[in-house]
Amino acid sequence: MAVLFDYDKAQRLLNRYKIRSIESRYVSSPEAAIKFADNDPIVLKALTNKALHKTKSGLVVLNLSTDKEIRNAFNALSKKAARFKPYKILAQRMVKDGIEIILGGNTDPQFGKMVLLGLGGIYVETFKDFALRTCPITRYDARSMLEQLKSRKIIAPDEKSSKMLEELLLKVSRMFAASEMKELDLNPIILHDGTYDAVDLRMLE
Amino acid sequence: MKTNYADLSAMMHPKSVAIIGASEKSGKVGAVIMQNYLDSGFQGEIYPVNISSSGKILGKTAYKSILEVRRSIDLAVISIPAEFVPQALDECGKAKVKGVVIVSSGFSEVGRSDLQEKLIAIARKYKLPVIGPNCLGIMDPRSRSDTLFLPTFKIDRPKIGSISFVSQSGSVGSSTLDLISGEGLGLARFISYGNAAVVDEVDILEFLGRDSDTKVIAFYLEGVKRGKEFIEVASRVTKKKPIVILKGGTTESGAAAAHSHTASLAGSNEAYKAVFTQYGFVQANNLEELLYFAKVFDTQPLMKGNRVAVITNGGGHGVLATDALYQNGLVFPELTKQTRDSLRKVMPSIVNIRLPMDIGGDADDKRYSDALELLSADPNVDALMVITLFQTPGADEKVASMVAKYAAIKAKPLVAVSTGGAYTRSHISVMEEMGVPVYESPDSAASALSALYRYSKYRMAKK
Repeated sequence: MAVLFDYDKAQRLLNRYKIRSIESRYVSSPEAAIKFADNDPIVLKALTNKALHKTKSGLVVLNLSTDKEIRNAFNALSKKAARFKPYKILAQRMVKDGIEIILGGNTDPQFGKMVLLGLGGIYVETFKDFALRTCPITRYDARSMLEQLKSRKIIAPDEKSSKMLEELLLKVSRMFAASEMKELDLNPIILHDGTYDAVDLRMLE
Repeated sequence: MKTNYADLSAMMHPKSVAIIGASEKSGKVGAVIMQNYLDSGFQGEIYPVNISSSGKILGKTAYKSILEVRRSIDLAVISIPAEFVPQALDECGKAKVKGVVIVSSGFSEVGRSDLQEKLIAIARKYKLPVIGPNCLGIMDPRSRSDTLFLPTFKIDRPKIGSISFVSQSGSVGSSTLDLISGEGLGLARFISYGNAAVVDEVDILEFLGRDSDTKVIAFYLEGVKRGKEFIEVASRVTKKKPIVILKGGTTESGAAAAHSHTASLAGSNEAYKAVFTQYGFVQANNLEELLYFAKVFDTQPLMKGNRVAVITNGGGHGVLATDALYQNGLVFPELTKQTRDSLRKVMPSIVNIRLPMDIGGDADDKRYSDALELLSADPNVDALMVITLFQTPGADEKVASMVAKYAAIKAKPLVAVSTGGAYTRSHISVMEEMGVPVYESPDSAASALSALYRYSKYRMAKK
């Protein structure tokens, strides 16, 4: 049985490897969520080991701006998540729009740990545009993964963004190779304003 | 931890061979192998071994056991019923045989893993390299050693060369061997390794990487057992020589159990493809490509860029070649002014100085020579594709030898395209004999050049 890493633990791991992720906090009441939001739009997610696909299970509510919206969403989410006990509710900053990519890791029975880069979000399954390599990867590998993608011009239109993604790939490869996790999804990572934010993390051991 | 058995040189190029299960009974595998050794002109010693035989087998002194031979044996070929194989193998170990091929079947492939385990234990005890069981074995055109139990009249044996062909499967192996001869390719070694009980793909790659007879490795693979070691060895070998690989089998494992997008995308086939890409393998999609790619690697130097100049004596073929090049990620070069001016001087006015360079249906060897000389000297040209349609009045054997002459210089990669019947084929063999890779369509020529370019890029990159 795959066990999901606790969000705090996952985020600490990302921080240790200097991989950017969107600011998030567990909240145990609507008031805590409102305080976290501090008048900026947020997302609420119910995290549970029993439903690995949050969106499919209706455990994500996006773009909450007012106190009332936050309160209603918190209560509705708690009701829905009740059947997946134990669960926790996570509040996250709403990230700006951008290009969604996926960075992931898998453990192949034959070749061991591998990293993946692809066009992300809702496009992952549709276009299946991704590149895969065994860990650890070199800078050459990172570059060639980018070059292999059909969506290269979308996700890395210039040298600066290519460099940034290469760095990110190298960090993720190092982190994944050194950890006890078997599967990893950073999906989506949103590329915006010359930087990126990992918005959803899923680490499984 | 598995023992490594990469020292296969004695058995691959043997001076003496024992055939265990040799027989005079026609139709028996042991009889075919024995007969093949006699017919092929093998120069070394041949020792037939058969427990129920005394005197001679096919004119050679026979032994009841390999232990009775009492001389140095480089290779023992075992072709007896599976249940007797462990004992015969143990005797090979005692007799200090350098390597064994077990062609017999009846092991793990039919559920008798217990028998196969015995072989593994014996091999380990004597540190004895064993190929098989359940395989065709090995062929070395140089020493004319050939353990294949395929009658010589049914399958062509290729000429001596520098391509080594490796196949897990016997049937893919033997039919491809036939094709290799048909394509006029030269063979360094043929290895069909069957169940891979002892010597596996990792050992074979390690050996071929060091084998000086082998310049190109063509590999039909269904799966590897030691993934990490396979990567480690392959990454060293591809830095020295190309491995063209065709992966059979579409086993998907773990996809159903995946909990993440990554795991559901990164199935077993994708993992193999990723490993091949990452470690510089040249991937073929089918048997034809496996041979077409091996052919260009066998004779042509590395390709420094993706700019290909096309010379043709047929307009339509020039158009097809253009499409094929661009579809394969290759492009036309921008010719220098000097090249364009020189071409204008020597070409008749009907010839347009642009690519594809259509030198006219009446082009003869002189015109081909001028075009070849000027285009191959242009610094912006990385490779040449020369289309020679022998149906035209000007094209004859002089054109064929002119193309071969430029290919022999090997300054830049050159491939030829020639389509046609018997008259054309006779010229194709002249060109191929002289080391020009000739293809029947612009498309296969372009995909071969593209494979050469991808590998060259890998070799030249800083990793």
